[in-house]
Amino acid sequence: MAAYLVRRISYGAVTVLGVLFLLFVLFFAVTNPDDIARKAVGERARPEVYVQWKKNHGYDKPLFLNREYAASNAKRYTDTLLFEHYRSMLTFDFGRSDADDTPIADRLLKGAGPSLSLTVPLFILDVVVAVAVGLFVAFFRETLIDRTVLVLCIFTMSVATLLYIIAGQYLIGMLLKWFPISGYSGDSSVIWRFLALPVIVGVISGFGSDVRLYRTIFIEEMGRDYVRTARAKGAGDARVMVAHVLRNALIPIITNVVIAIPFLFTGSLLLESFFGIPGLGAMTVEAIQGNDFATLRTMVYLGALLFILGQILTDVSYAIADPRVRLS
Amino acid sequence: MLIRISRIAALFLALAWAGCTNDPYPDADKGRKVLYTSFSEVPKTLDPAVSYTTSEHVITGNVYDTLLEYHYLERPYKLIAGLAEAVPEPEALPDGGQRYRFRIRPGVRFHDDICFGARSPGQRSREVTAQDFAFQFARLADPAINSPVASSFVQVKGFQAFAKRLADLRKADPAFVKQAAHVQYAKAGGIEGVVAASDRDLEIVLTEANAQILYWFAMPFTTPIAWEAVAYYDGREGRPNFADHVVGTGPFRLAVYDKQLRYVLAKNPTWYGLRDEAASAPGVAFPSNIDPADVAAKRIDPAYAGRRMPFLDRVNFARERENIPRFNKFLQGYYDDGGIIKESFDAIVQGDRLSPDMAKRGMRLDREVEPSIFYIGFNMNDPVLGSKGGERSRKLRQAMSLVVDTETFLQLFLNGRGVPAQSPLPPGLFGYDANYRNPFRQPDQAKAKRLLAEAGYANGIDPATQAPLKLTFDMGNTSAQSLLESEFLVGAWRGLGLNVEIAATTYNQFQDKVRRGAYQIFRWGWNADFPDPENFLFLLECSNAQANSNGPNTANFCNDGFDQRYRAMKDMPNNETRLRLVKEMLAITEAERPWIELFHVEDFTLSHAWLINSKPMGLSYPAFKYKDVDPGMRERLIAQWNEPVRWPLALLVIGVIALAVPAVRTYYRERT
Repeated sequence: MAAYLVRRISYGAVTVLGVLFLLFVLFFAVTNPDDIARKAVGERARPEVYVQWKKNHGYDKPLFLNREYAASNAKRYTDTLLFEHYRSMLTFDFGRSDADDTPIADRLLKGAGPSLSLTVPLFILDVVVAVAVGLFVAFFRETLIDRTVLVLCIFTMSVATLLYIIAGQYLIGMLLKWFPISGYSGDSSVIWRFLALPVIVGVISGFGSDVRLYRTIFIEEMGRDYVRTARAKGAGDARVMVAHVLRNALIPIITNVVIAIPFLFTGSLLLESFFGIPGLGAMTVEAIQGNDFATLRTMVYLGALLFILGQILTDVSYAIADPRVRLS
Repeated sequence: MLIRISRIAALFLALAWAGCTNDPYPDADKGRKVLYTSFSEVPKTLDPAVSYTTSEHVITGNVYDTLLEYHYLERPYKLIAGLAEAVPEPEALPDGGQRYRFRIRPGVRFHDDICFGARSPGQRSREVTAQDFAFQFARLADPAINSPVASSFVQVKGFQAFAKRLADLRKADPAFVKQAAHVQYAKAGGIEGVVAASDRDLEIVLTEANAQILYWFAMPFTTPIAWEAVAYYDGREGRPNFADHVVGTGPFRLAVYDKQLRYVLAKNPTWYGLRDEAASAPGVAFPSNIDPADVAAKRIDPAYAGRRMPFLDRVNFARERENIPRFNKFLQGYYDDGGIIKESFDAIVQGDRLSPDMAKRGMRLDREVEPSIFYIGFNMNDPVLGSKGGERSRKLRQAMSLVVDTETFLQLFLNGRGVPAQSPLPPGLFGYDANYRNPFRQPDQAKAKRLLAEAGYANGIDPATQAPLKLTFDMGNTSAQSLLESEFLVGAWRGLGLNVEIAATTYNQFQDKVRRGAYQIFRWGWNADFPDPENFLFLLECSNAQANSNGPNTANFCNDGFDQRYRAMKDMPNNETRLRLVKEMLAITEAERPWIELFHVEDFTLSHAWLINSKPMGLSYPAFKYKDVDPGMRERLIAQWNEPVRWPLALLVIGVIALAVPAVRTYYRERT
């Protein structure tokens, strides 16, 4: 197990280094720092202001080799954009936003709370509802109930998330007036008011695909010998479905669930933007719109890092959920 | 088990039934004089030396006072005294320069702030002195601050010399940079033409006459700044940067600044306008000379005439990233004012008026033309379109100008929210003539074809190639909307037989083309800094040409007659001579056609019945002190408009039961 973990983490580390190189090519080699500076300080700024801005944000160095230093001097290689890029990302020293000079770490810390306040309840509710409905329709497979729910699933999968958002805001917020159309408050007594609508919209938009997946998993498990044995031993339907089928279906469920957990931190791009939640998803959208390359670079890097982390966590979860799986 | 689940479900439904509300505000706000509004763009900086966008000025204009202000109601715009006791008259100096003397009101204090206690424990504020204005002028000149308006003050004596001395000192001694800004400025000797003659007397000395410089004293750029605030808020040890922390003197202070989510302006209890001795100051009482038209349109409540301001306790700004939710929340009454989204324009405005449905709700529609101009420009250095082509090129430009139908453009793309431009000057400015009709801005295809033939391009054919004359329309925007707009314009020229291609690039690439002079036709716009014709006509003056000085004259228009008149009128007070000069300059642009003037943007603002004094602020920055709300009316109408519709909850329960019944039936059928 330990050897597997070390190997898996090593693969992950190499992948991270590769991702960082791709990021470097995208954000430094392709993009001109002069353009970034011009966007940040304005078109009519004096030349010395551009120079100072690039220096403050670390865009003033050469890409790969600093020829100001002799070949024997380590600074020839370390005083470059490439080295600085790797250093800052690997040490989580993300620097300041290109758009408004705010420390990116501060914005990450500030945005993580609102993102989690949306994504955690959404994630939990989504899993609970999808597993429960999946189990329910699997039990009633090939009946009118099963077919009705499947049609509903296909329907919900066919509609774009943006439409759910706009329709949800119009129907629930505007016509029924149940919850605010958008907004956010850090006050724990009223926060649910703002999160209810995005959570409902999020659950509905993810409902179809998750229910179909879990239904398939449960139906496959229900055909196994141990289910027949359990029934032969007189176990009731509820016990068979929950204690046997659900438990044995945990591995694929965990795969689907654990891999999504790290992304809870990065928030939801669309939901946060449209519902006015000041989380990391909205921050990413804003960075894209505002050419804030420093923030965008950080978010892409964190996304990749969390994905790799999710993969490792999933593999480890297998072993915990099912002792038959031996990672070694 | 089933009973337990039913009980939990019943409890949940009961809670949902009782707790449903779309009210985004805490109950504690009820009954208070709070104005609710929204913002979408996060302010980059609140440093008044740098902040230059509307989203920033909406804060800085209300928390920082200025020596002068614009009269809130009068149009054309008129300057009144703010922190200064009077609007100063210029004094001619023997060397050809000019001096303005400002007498600062007594008892003007900075907002209470801990920065004042950093050096003097226990101190929370202090009185404003002339030195605080001089300090801000030094900041405007400081190259490290990068003020976007620094070039507007080059006529202040010693302004540029100070900037150079400062830069040289910083370059020579790295230790110098580490000192506090006010220490550096003092060591650099200050600006010669900004003199703090006493604590309450400020003198501004100019190297040449400039009547327009007074307008800059009505903008937050020249507000007094406490050196203590700049020194304290340095972004270190958990302190915010000065760009994110306001220590002003205005009628409001920035009470909350969470720029990703919301900010709150709260009434400043130490504002000079609340003191008895300030009763006669024009900027502290609501103006009495109210236009009856404003009263008739319910934009202004005449009962407020002469009352001391501000009337609001708080102004609450909530972040709305997207237009649709913002607009819907306005319709629900949760924002007191707002714009109109394109998607709902026809439902809200019908025939230039509010739709009956909206009018029935007591809503008001206010319209104001912005001091702005959007135009198509020709690169006058281009051999085909520019000055070198002489009469041939002039007639080509005139022909192209004649076929651009701005009325249709506005209807198609902006819901008619604009006024077709006849000249570079927008309504409300000295020199604007509402009756003037530019002969080359009235669509006339036959005349355009005739001019084109006279230019040697009959039916758009270039005799040199015997093919349609090929031109390029450069644009720095690749959005679908922008492409559609450009297609409309280019389509008009194609109708003349010309082959105009659209070259759409990113803004940066477009800027690069402009710098290299590699463009023929472009589309651009300008928003005025101050309400004076000079602030528009300088865009066509030769020394400001992009090719000569990287200036804002992107058309590179150089005309001796225009330039002579510009130099004569630019620092002249508004009088008959100036009016004549402006008209002559407009006649030159009419004939030469360096621009095809498109439109002046018209703002459509909606406000609810409970928002009092909603006249659009135009160039007037400290607008919130004039506004008021009727919280009682707001609560009553919001409650009426937002009663939750609860019956669908019952429908939901029926739906669940409808799903459960066949399940139970199926279950028992299969088991029995």
